[in-house]
Amino acid sequence: MSDNLAKDLENKAQIGEAKPKKKFDFSAAAKKSFTPSFGFQAPGAGNAYAYQDFSSYAQPQQGQQPAQPAQPEAPQTMTLEDFKKQKQATNLNIRTGTKKVLSLSKKDDEKPAAKEPVKEEVKEQKKPEAPKETKETKDVKEVKEVKETKETKETKEAKETKETKETKDTKAKTAEEAKVDADAVIKEQEQMDQEVVQDLFGGKELKEHMSIIFMGHVDAGKSTMGGNLLYLTGSVDKRTIDKYEKEALDAGRQGWYLSWVMDTNKEERNEGKTIEVGRAVFETEKRRYTILDAPGHKMYVPSMIGGASQADAGILVISARAGEYETGFEKGGQTREHAVLAKTQGVDRLCVAVNKLDDPTVNWSKERYDECISKVAPFLKALGYTNVLFMPVSGYTGAGLKEPVSKELAPWYDGPTLLEWLDAVPCENRKASAPFMLPVSSKTKDLGTVVEGKIESGTVRKGDQLLMMPNKRPVEVATIINEGEEEITGAMVGEQVKIKLKGIDEEDIQIGFVLTSSKNPIKAVTRFEATVAILDIKNILTAGFSCVMHVHTAVEEVQFVKLLHKLEKGTNRKSKKPPAFAKKGMKVIAELQTESAVCIEEFEKTPQLGRFTLRDQGQTIAIGKVTKIIE
Amino acid sequence: MSTQADRNIEIWKIKKLVKNLHEARGNGTSMISLIMPPKSQIPQYTKMLTDEYGTASNIKSRVNRLSVLSAISSTQQRLKMYTRCPPNGLVIFCGEAMNSEGKLRKLLIDFEPFKPINTSLYLCDSKFHVEALAELMESDDRFGFIVMDGNGALFGTLSGNTREVLAKFTVDLPKKHGRGGQSALRFARLRDEKRHNYVRKVAEVAVQCFITNDKVNVNGLVLAGSADFKNILSGSDLFDLRLQQKIVQIVDVSYGGENGFNQAIELSGESLSNVKFVQEKKLLSKYFEEIAKDQGLYCYGHEDTLKALDASAIETLIVWENLELIRYTLRDGENNESIAFAMPDSSNKDYLIGKDGQELEVIDEKPFVEWLAENYTDYGATLEFVTDKSSEGSQFVRGFGGVGGLLRYKLNFEQLVDESDDEFYSD
Repeated sequence: MSDNLAKDLENKAQIGEAKPKKKFDFSAAAKKSFTPSFGFQAPGAGNAYAYQDFSSYAQPQQGQQPAQPAQPEAPQTMTLEDFKKQKQATNLNIRTGTKKVLSLSKKDDEKPAAKEPVKEEVKEQKKPEAPKETKETKDVKEVKEVKETKETKETKEAKETKETKETKDTKAKTAEEAKVDADAVIKEQEQMDQEVVQDLFGGKELKEHMSIIFMGHVDAGKSTMGGNLLYLTGSVDKRTIDKYEKEALDAGRQGWYLSWVMDTNKEERNEGKTIEVGRAVFETEKRRYTILDAPGHKMYVPSMIGGASQADAGILVISARAGEYETGFEKGGQTREHAVLAKTQGVDRLCVAVNKLDDPTVNWSKERYDECISKVAPFLKALGYTNVLFMPVSGYTGAGLKEPVSKELAPWYDGPTLLEWLDAVPCENRKASAPFMLPVSSKTKDLGTVVEGKIESGTVRKGDQLLMMPNKRPVEVATIINEGEEEITGAMVGEQVKIKLKGIDEEDIQIGFVLTSSKNPIKAVTRFEATVAILDIKNILTAGFSCVMHVHTAVEEVQFVKLLHKLEKGTNRKSKKPPAFAKKGMKVIAELQTESAVCIEEFEKTPQLGRFTLRDQGQTIAIGKVTKIIE
Repeated sequence: MSTQADRNIEIWKIKKLVKNLHEARGNGTSMISLIMPPKSQIPQYTKMLTDEYGTASNIKSRVNRLSVLSAISSTQQRLKMYTRCPPNGLVIFCGEAMNSEGKLRKLLIDFEPFKPINTSLYLCDSKFHVEALAELMESDDRFGFIVMDGNGALFGTLSGNTREVLAKFTVDLPKKHGRGGQSALRFARLRDEKRHNYVRKVAEVAVQCFITNDKVNVNGLVLAGSADFKNILSGSDLFDLRLQQKIVQIVDVSYGGENGFNQAIELSGESLSNVKFVQEKKLLSKYFEEIAKDQGLYCYGHEDTLKALDASAIETLIVWENLELIRYTLRDGENNESIAFAMPDSSNKDYLIGKDGQELEVIDEKPFVEWLAENYTDYGATLEFVTDKSSEGSQFVRGFGGVGGLLRYKLNFEQLVDESDDEFYSD
């Protein structure tokens, strides 16, 4: 295997060298092969055929893609064959791997009753996708095919978007060459996306990476749940846990040992509350995860926002214990604030874990569980969260995390466990072919300058020339380290990585800087226009108001230069006259200015880098999105 | 209350005067600054002036000699008008000052300061010496602030209505480390060491900022910060004992830097209630609250404010002390007087053209603020000056044009009427 790997690496390096030229060739070839088939079928045959043809064409391609572009080159044939074999093998691996997951989960669930939820969950998962396709294609067989092909979610999605684009096109029956050409270009780009991804990881099979954030009020049990999850998935061994348990006992903090996995500082352990966002990784059969454990205390909300900006999915932990739930959800409680902040930082997938149901005051009572849900559900819905799943858990005992809650305790719940839910959440909006962007969430000096963060778009590989914005310093990628402290040759969008950089000092980097591709750097500006929705403010806001802005991982002081328009409620029409001031509940378009340059993008282009939160006096006052960058 | 308000106006007037005097420049040594502390003897000063007169007559340069002599004699004349020294002392400035157009204008100003002035000063120079007066205005209680969090520290003071940042620096403290393996202990130790060094540095800079000549130069000290640093600092041996005793409050703020400073001022408002800056914030918060309530008990912009003043509806008039708006009194051909407002540097001179297209004659121009200060009592209002130093003040100046008021009863301004349905763009 190691031999293979070496070859693989060699191969990749060669591909990498010859790449630009090849890319071009490939795209030209693609154009040739796509346009005619498309042109023939679109006018006469109708959508279904065109689609079928295309998708059947596209499917094998995904497997072959990395091989295809390299084919013309004769000297490589030996390695290439090797490569292909490997590819096939890994394909098989993927299939058997996923099958295993399913069979495993079936085996694991010894009770017949528990089987159903799993299945249901899987079905649910697919349902939203299925109707879309049937609508578009009117080809049920095709859907089945899609269902059966067990590929990674991402490729599926990429295909889907391709499909929608194409079907739309055919529906419009635009046979014009130009448009078809444009379409082909888009297609190519998306293929390139996959090509890039495949190329990056070669034949190696790769689990998707996902970041999840635990949030909720103080003492809701976020850290404990995170710690237990790590323990249950085997990322922390029994010995460490035992050690912590003993230490905690010695320190008179008996029940806290699980949270000590996440809270590593002395201060945090003494107080029993998280101060900085904690990080840890674990793995399931399906994915790799990074846990971000947000502090629940009001003082440390700024830290939580930075964490939320890196998360793909959120777990809102609420405590069901008598009294605790109430304080957490009241005005001023962090349950609400965290939910709002996570939403504005781009966490669209949320699950609510009703924790501490094992507490003597609750004792797995269904009434209490329903009571907790009844108030939270409408609130989350109002915030714009869809498909929020509620589940009863106990972070301390671990019930409902990996293993479902036993039927004796909660016969009323038959949904998925936390891990099942996590494995089923789709990863969306991952643009692998977009320019590389990584907001720096932390930095260290470790035999060089190391920055850490989540890749928001694009891919990176060892040796890349990048740019550190806003101070425009050219840097070179020396090493890439993934979340599990392994050195890797390349990483793609969605991953949490540490990157060692050449050509920059640690002092020249600040948290909130963005590491970006040198061809298409992110904009660094001090002035921009934005739509701002005011959530909560003491009295009013006018030009001259200054507060603190959180955008991706950056925290910057910002001032309103002028208010430009107010937006009418409901219709979002702009007012002709600028409003003199803005009040709670209003939406305005305003020009803002930061003290020093900050890296942002327009929301339309890159949502993750175009949405921000405004805070003042320790409370969240407004959220907004960048509409125009003033350079 | 009224005396307090009067005093504020007095302060504002002196501030303005000091600013003008500070800029004035004259020939040679002909600008006389004379400050007499309370309970000083007038004859003593008359005698000194007579002596000076004698000395000055020996000045070689004719131009200088003449102007110095004339300045001294004017001062003498003015001094004769006082039979005894006023309770707060006396200040006289006299000399020929160059105005902005380069013309010499004779200046003779004498007044009693609003509070006792403990300086004795006689100086002939090419400029007026107003430092003592400037000091007088700033000698309010001075409070020190230390805002420290994990990213850096800021040292500032608050005195009167000025907020000042004395020093700030950032630090790089190691973040919480992931599950560390065998080097976890080493990292923890490094972390503790860095944090300790940071506290030490803050303590040292605090001494530099707040201790001059071995004395604490502030009346109180407020410690602010997120996380635990502020408490560590206040309990640390490294923190100067003299400063430790001055701590009046420790507050929790969620950010460092300027924003943290502002929040710290806000939160320590009770301890600092007699500081002008805090009073100003309070007043403006009340004003903004009124706007948020939207009961029509407010006005802003000079036009509405004047209308409200004319209707005697204004209870509290709030003006930015550096408002540059000029009030022009104009006269047309038929001797009808009218009033217009304009910024001094605006190129738009439309206000000089009357209704019938005829050019109007400017018979008087005066800063609007000055006019308000002189006439506000006629309208039954109290006048409050604000600065743009606080966050509220900055909003008031930039968002509301720097002039506005709280009303006694609701007034219907025209601008409220013309909010038609067509307020929004159709798309």
